[in-house]
Amino acid sequence: MIEFALSKKQHELREALQSLGRHVIRPMSLDMDRNKEVPESFLRNFMMMSRGVRSDDISEFQEGVSRKERDPSKPSEANRTAVIAAEELAWADAAIPLSMPGPGLGAPPVRATGTPEQKKRFLGMFRDMDTGPLKWGAYGLTEPGAGSDVAGIRTSCRKDGSHWVLNGRKCYITNGGRAVWTVIFATVDPTLGRAGHRAFVVEKGTPGFEVGKIEDKMGLRANETAELVLEDCRVPEENLLGGEEAYRSKEGFMTAMKTFDNTRPLVAAMAVGIGRAAYEYARDFVKQHYVLGRPIPRYAAIADKLAKIGRRLEAARLLVHRATYLADMNIPNAKEASMSKAAAGQAATLACIDAIEVCGAHGTLSSEHALLEKWFRDIKVYDIFEGTGNIQRVVISKRIVSNLKSF
Amino acid sequence: MIAFEPTEDQRLMQDAVAEFAKQTLLPRTRELEHARGVPEDIRRTAHEMGLGLVTAPEAAGGQGQGLVTAVLIEEEIGAADAAAAFGLAGPGAFGRAVMEIGGPERAAELLSGFADEGGWDRFGAVAWSEASPCRTHEGFATKAERTEEGYRITGKKAFVGNAALADRFLVFAQVEPERGWGGIGAFVVRRENPGLRVGERHKTLGLDAASFGEVVLEGAVVREADRLMGDGGEEGFTRAALRFFVKHALVVAARAVGLARYAFELAREHCDTRVAFGKPIGHFQAVAFTLADRAMDVETSRWLVWKAAAAWDAGLSERDAFLATARAAAHAFEATMRTADDCVQLFGGSGFIRDLVAEKLMRDAKQLMLTAPTAEQLDQLASVIELGQRLDPALVLPTPDTQAIFT
Repeated sequence: MIEFALSKKQHELREALQSLGRHVIRPMSLDMDRNKEVPESFLRNFMMMSRGVRSDDISEFQEGVSRKERDPSKPSEANRTAVIAAEELAWADAAIPLSMPGPGLGAPPVRATGTPEQKKRFLGMFRDMDTGPLKWGAYGLTEPGAGSDVAGIRTSCRKDGSHWVLNGRKCYITNGGRAVWTVIFATVDPTLGRAGHRAFVVEKGTPGFEVGKIEDKMGLRANETAELVLEDCRVPEENLLGGEEAYRSKEGFMTAMKTFDNTRPLVAAMAVGIGRAAYEYARDFVKQHYVLGRPIPRYAAIADKLAKIGRRLEAARLLVHRATYLADMNIPNAKEASMSKAAAGQAATLACIDAIEVCGAHGTLSSEHALLEKWFRDIKVYDIFEGTGNIQRVVISKRIVSNLKSF
Repeated sequence: MIAFEPTEDQRLMQDAVAEFAKQTLLPRTRELEHARGVPEDIRRTAHEMGLGLVTAPEAAGGQGQGLVTAVLIEEEIGAADAAAAFGLAGPGAFGRAVMEIGGPERAAELLSGFADEGGWDRFGAVAWSEASPCRTHEGFATKAERTEEGYRITGKKAFVGNAALADRFLVFAQVEPERGWGGIGAFVVRRENPGLRVGERHKTLGLDAASFGEVVLEGAVVREADRLMGDGGEEGFTRAALRFFVKHALVVAARAVGLARYAFELAREHCDTRVAFGKPIGHFQAVAFTLADRAMDVETSRWLVWKAAAAWDAGLSERDAFLATARAAAHAFEATMRTADDCVQLFGGSGFIRDLVAEKLMRDAKQLMLTAPTAEQLDQLASVIELGQRLDPALVLPTPDTQAIFT
């Protein structure tokens, strides 16, 4: 069927998250931005509350632990449902989904490449958060000298007995400072490019593994972004994801790239959420100040801006639906995942820019339209992280143009 | 549950129409253009397939299918020759108009003959736009004066699709000038009516195989029963007329998606094969990124059109269906124009020469997006809905002169 209605479970999930967003998260939003922190009490409550609301599918997705081994021939609803949740949470405050305890962005590589023992060990660490401390995982790929150019990472790894010795620097790592472990990508030989990459789970407290700078950012200020420094850091060989066999075939170093097919639509959905927040705010502002107070022709240009924002966001949202539909059907979706990210990053950024414009100079004052001002600061990174808009277009290009290996 | 899967029946229909389009329309597209019409043999084939009657009520010999099926079919036709879609004979826009404004029962009567022998020569037409603007009051310059048995219609209509071919017209006229938009009406007028004369055929920028022209009413006499009342009252008539216009826009948008797809594939194939500076031009980033952006345009247009069609078929509120359709059509029109434009651009000089179909697609794209409510009109409708305003006909219906459309 061609259908766009949400299932009953999805509808309930969305309602619940919208309510939470409106009544609990939004009121906290400005403080979180100011204090650069999501309160632990909220995270604990949310974790407990969401256990009742989430389907098995989402738990599996979020926690990275399969309750049952997923049958690859059976379609799932996990991806389509996850992006609905992501959009609502980001609509409320984008720092929330990024700050959720759990393996987070570190889960996909562990799931994709880890041995069964590694999956149990690393993903199992998050089981006791009800009574114990909150924990995070992280994903460490980006370096000061290598962002889009993943092949250009310089963090090195060298085998020494039963350990690997890692040296290098990672930056802009989400939850990097507090993570109990970070998946660190290092290279055995920079001249090999991607073929030289190895993925290690480096645990907090490992000698030679230090947290560097915690970044001061334009937006998403309540979410921690950290620098990680590795100086002769000795990592046990049991922490090389997949073991050495995984890297003999091409499988191992495709790890970093493959997982993006699931995460890009998720990040795109968050962008749509922020964009929608700004759009609704501007729309309500126009309704209040122009429709009810002034003759109609006076604000045609503004109404026109709103109409365009609205439809661009909807277009991006449908690309997210399409990408996640394919993922749920176990159909390769790299092109569609990148399309969703490219479109959403752009549409949402324009939405925030135009929403401020529509509210005039008052829109720039945090004293007057504090949330709107904050969303403008939050959204910009969404066209940058998880693959910039241009990188998404490189991915798409390679799937449209024949025989295109590189530009 | 969100799904992008046509049903088995829809697939069969899609495949059959795609085959017809590929075998019959595609190779003869310039022939149709030069003939400024669709040859009888093509219309007979279409008639045998029941193409023009897919959405018509069963009582009129149609299949009573919904809009999702319709947009799937229209895209396939548009992907071969968008102009042909207007000239395949059948109820067309007239059928859609009488369904909304007259209701299914009245429509069944008014659509008689289309399913029968000779149906390939039968056309309907909708006369909305005025040849000259009315300067004295809102609404139409063409007037319908009350008589004892009904009305006498006088005026000149322009941009009427199939004016020269139709045997039946729906003519919009002003009944009560002093009531402006509140005093308009829609009247069924037969070709044989002595007071109706077909005027000049327009020479258009594109869609040459589609026939658009003027219709002159010189005291055309009609009965009360020939007047279609919509849902009753001024508001009911506006809503019914609006339903016609947006559904018409959606059908045209589906044709646009087809045209965009054709232009994209043409461009993509060219970029794979045309070599310059030592490699296929698609291997240059600016070219590849243009293709990537247009690929997103084609996809988003299609999904937005599907979503709007599904909204009507699922019986969502008119508000939701109007909004979805306004967004879908506005986006699809602009996206298609960009795609056709870029297609010519990527061909370089050869794109400008009539030996190639690229220039035709660009002319057709521009023309196509003016055969329905314009993107500006649709954006206006979307903003009226989002801003919670009344569906004021002055805001939501195309103005008969300044926003003339080729109905």
